[in-house]
Amino acid sequence: MAKLILLLLNWIFLCCNVAAVFEDQVGKFDWRQQYVGKVRFSHFDSHMQSSKKVLLASESNVFAALNTRTGELFWRHVDKTGPEGNIDALLQHGQDAVLVIGNGHLLRSWDIGVGGMNWEMVLDPGSFRSACLVGHQGAVKHLAVLKKTVISLHYLSNGHQKWVENLPESETVDFQAVYSGGNGEVYALGVVPNSHLAIVVYSLEDGEITKQVSVEAPWLSSIPASCSVISRGLLTCVDSTTMSLYTLDLHLQLEMTQIPLQALLASFATAGEKTVVAVMAPKNKTACSINLFSAETGRRLLETTLIFTVDPNGGKPEKLHVQAFLKKDDSVGYRVMVQTEDHTLTFIQQPGRVMWTREEALSDVVTMEMVDLPLTGAQAELEGEFGKKADGLMSMVMKRLSSQLIMLQAWIAHLWKLFYDARKPRSQVKNDVSIENLSRDEFNLQKMMVLVTASGKLFGIDSKTGDILWKHYLENIPLNAAFKLMVQRTTAHFPHPPQCTLLIKDKDTGLATLHVFNPIFGRRSQVTPPALPQPILQSLLLPLMDQDYAKVLLLVDDQYKVSAFPSTKNVLQQLQETASSIFFYLADSGQGRLSGYRLRTDLSTEQVWEVVIPTETQKIVSIKGKRSNEHVHSQGRVMGDRSVLYKYLNPNLLAVVTESTDLHQERSFIGILLIDGVTGRIIHEAVQRKARGPVHVVHSENWVVYEYWSTKSRRNEFSVIELYEGMDLYNSTVFSSLDRPHAPQVLQQSYIFPSSISTMEATLTEKGITSRHLLVGLPSGGILSLPKMFLDPRRPEVISEQSREENLIPYAPELIIRTEWFINYNQTVSRVRGIYTAPSGLESTCLVVAYGLDIYHTRVYPSKQFDVLKDDYDYMLISSVLFALFFATMISKRLAEVKLLNRAWR
Amino acid sequence: MLSRGSLSRLWLFVHATFVVVSCFTDMEPGSGVGVSSQPNGDRFKIEGRAIVPGVKTHDWVSSARVLVEGEEHVGFLRTDGSFAVNDVPSGSYVVEVVTPTYRFEPVRVDITSKGKMRARLVNYIKTSEVIRQPYPLQIRSVGPHSYFMKRETWGWTDFLMNPMVMMMVLPLLIIVLLPKVVNTNDPEMRKEMEQSMNMLNSNPELPDVSELMTKLFSGSKGSSKAGSSSKSSRTVTKRR
Repeated sequence: MAKLILLLLNWIFLCCNVAAVFEDQVGKFDWRQQYVGKVRFSHFDSHMQSSKKVLLASESNVFAALNTRTGELFWRHVDKTGPEGNIDALLQHGQDAVLVIGNGHLLRSWDIGVGGMNWEMVLDPGSFRSACLVGHQGAVKHLAVLKKTVISLHYLSNGHQKWVENLPESETVDFQAVYSGGNGEVYALGVVPNSHLAIVVYSLEDGEITKQVSVEAPWLSSIPASCSVISRGLLTCVDSTTMSLYTLDLHLQLEMTQIPLQALLASFATAGEKTVVAVMAPKNKTACSINLFSAETGRRLLETTLIFTVDPNGGKPEKLHVQAFLKKDDSVGYRVMVQTEDHTLTFIQQPGRVMWTREEALSDVVTMEMVDLPLTGAQAELEGEFGKKADGLMSMVMKRLSSQLIMLQAWIAHLWKLFYDARKPRSQVKNDVSIENLSRDEFNLQKMMVLVTASGKLFGIDSKTGDILWKHYLENIPLNAAFKLMVQRTTAHFPHPPQCTLLIKDKDTGLATLHVFNPIFGRRSQVTPPALPQPILQSLLLPLMDQDYAKVLLLVDDQYKVSAFPSTKNVLQQLQETASSIFFYLADSGQGRLSGYRLRTDLSTEQVWEVVIPTETQKIVSIKGKRSNEHVHSQGRVMGDRSVLYKYLNPNLLAVVTESTDLHQERSFIGILLIDGVTGRIIHEAVQRKARGPVHVVHSENWVVYEYWSTKSRRNEFSVIELYEGMDLYNSTVFSSLDRPHAPQVLQQSYIFPSSISTMEATLTEKGITSRHLLVGLPSGGILSLPKMFLDPRRPEVISEQSREENLIPYAPELIIRTEWFINYNQTVSRVRGIYTAPSGLESTCLVVAYGLDIYHTRVYPSKQFDVLKDDYDYMLISSVLFALFFATMISKRLAEVKLLNRAWR
Repeated sequence: MLSRGSLSRLWLFVHATFVVVSCFTDMEPGSGVGVSSQPNGDRFKIEGRAIVPGVKTHDWVSSARVLVEGEEHVGFLRTDGSFAVNDVPSGSYVVEVVTPTYRFEPVRVDITSKGKMRARLVNYIKTSEVIRQPYPLQIRSVGPHSYFMKRETWGWTDFLMNPMVMMMVLPLLIIVLLPKVVNTNDPEMRKEMEQSMNMLNSNPELPDVSELMTKLFSGSKGSSKAGSSSKSSRTVTKRR
């Protein structure tokens, strides 16, 4: 009982100690952007005149409804990733939207008003081809699903199957489309490539074949790629080679009629009774014009031209999504959503006004960095003062005074601006964030986020507001590219612009290219990156700098030759001098080989060590080193008896995670190896039996935290390994991997975690004084800030006086998830793939960006805000107390004087 | 009319679940009736219903998901709050209803290779412990998530009830009220007072208000402190 009370007390203590979000902080320094992904299908909701919904189904298996006025989400449903959640088709009728999912495996109907599901139906196996709604006598009650060999009809109200029929000649004819015109018949369209089109007509009632025809179409190879069936059974196809439009009336089945066009892109839409086709054609280099044509006649409709300006930093237009509507005078009006190669959606109204844009590329951020903003002129002046060596007292004073004057000027200008802005309406004030007036704030809390997306589009986002300040689309990015972003020069070296380098590597060939750019403006740098003819195995950013303060990037090719970028004489000389202390490692997970290399002075390499992990039993899953910008403040921990336990702080330590190839739940295991990257010495090896991945690892300071799935107990478990040198330090000034004779003491403890996790990262602060927290991305979308204190292998099972002195929490097997620890409260981040942490100018504050389908940015205070006044600081109270005291002394003084006078008179 | 329609649909659903329940409870190992009704052999369906008491389902279903063992299998909620997760192979799973606003307790669902289902409380420490839960699942929300810490608010009552303030206020009251209560005209009393005053203050002239205050405070706090404070005041006056 006493134990329990103690535990409870401890909990209370901890709860007080752990930082959380306060309700009034909502939206103060955090923001979230929600995305859908690359759009595959879209459907404008037109069953009501006033409806402003557009339904989007994306390649990221997301189904969402957007507001067409603002581009914001109404609701969004995120299915699981991979082919099982793949959306094959999107159909809409009235309030219902039907999705075909997982290659025709599931049929799901949604209520688009509420955003809830109506029903879900599992279909028979078969590879999916097409689906359509089937109407009869003005009411749509069924939907037809065409698979490779069968066609089936389902009720729209509950998904139950009405009939299923086999397709004739399905071995030769590739059935690709299904259509129904509302007359009780279902048309299945098949194609024999470059020969003819086969049309099979089924009766709606019982699925009997009523007609079978074939039409010559030698130019046609695939229906979904080029054709679409529009109202009244008009099959319309675009032949891109001859630039012409073919139409075919399915009810009459005559010859195909050809209409020549000059077009880039085309899209069909229906408004009331009229069907139109929007055709996009290039106008000049920077703009495209979109025109509306009547689909029945092929004639251009008047006054329907719309201009789309192509963003020079974006991609080419790829797809048109047209929302056509009938105007009051019965003519057709339209809005168009243009999808470009860089996954951007731009919604345009006539005559070319952009209503909103969505950068859907941001749904797939691969890697990111945060770069400090440049100093303003005044700040740079002030900073420069400290850099120069003294040239006389007088001139220093003068310089100080002049810089102070400049600051005063800037401050007055700022005040004036504030005053001026206060008088303007609020809507006009915002919107003045531009690259030109961006500057570092006093605590360096505002930074530039440089994001690299899988589509090859780079973004620069202001971390304070979330505004996209620049974007740059890299063309010709291979499909399965791997990206690595490195900051070669920060903003600290003023006349030299900051410089980032993006290494883009094709995973198949290993060939890489470099893109060098300025992270503040997004512009390509003047520096020409070297051509890399050989496949690249490894890249490393050295702490060495060239004369222009750019860090040296070393690239190791498959011949184990090393090239440097920049490769000036100065750099090569520096490299030669320091070559003996440059080590690097290579990992080949296919062959299970881990090898360490050393640089020779002639920039060739020699192998120093090699560790082979037998690939028959296990494979290397991940290798984690420490972050280079991490600082550790204290070298040891003070124990209860006032002695010091020194941490083993090896900057070259690698944590290698292996998983067993045998996935049987009794025999599967995961292994963790701690290897010194310089010497190849295995510091520690741990094997977790009856466990399997995915393993998430965080490696920092003197600890490694990893999470795995325990197959025996069917739960997620956290394990922490901490390394200590012992009670005395071998060499307290410098750590050298080559001179550390004693093996470190290893402490390990494991805990149960009541949820699976998506990703994990540790907080990072400027000087490492603040206590560390682990940021855990959960599948529910929450980001949990778990104090490292809970993952401490020294947590005692039996509490002693000493452990209490050390503030150790007694061991409890289960870590609990408290919703107060969610740093993103209800702003869930779907499918968190990565968490990026960066230090700010304040020691207490760590900047966090979580990215996945959404992007979320916030600040965390792992040890609360100890170095600034809290934002709930009660200025009113303190000033009122001060004033009250002041007046009280005045009054009492006066009273005392009067009293003294009175006494003197007595 | 609309509400009646949805009601009837709901009734239909309840009926359907009932049928499913009876199917599962009736099913003996080897009968395999329930299995054959499943379209693809060894894949099963987890069914249930999530309820947030006092809140219309329309208000929260659009942001809700059903997660089976992390994101291994995902299900969505129907507009009436019920759900079904298809294509789940036999095994043991933790089923969770996730919404940003409401909290639901997770449930462990065991599916045998024959498709027999059982729901029980999640216990990560004693994993084999069985506390049965109803199946099809009935997951009732335990309330909204509490994401925010409470700010320490400043109120007069907090200020007044502070022990330090109490320690200051009570003696003050005594100082102010006592002379009023005790009759000062009583000569004996006056003598006593004068004596004590003399003891407190060797110097009859009052040099400063603040000094008077400190003396009053120290004097009222206890006789043990009084001595020392008077000593200090003496040194102060001497220095002057």
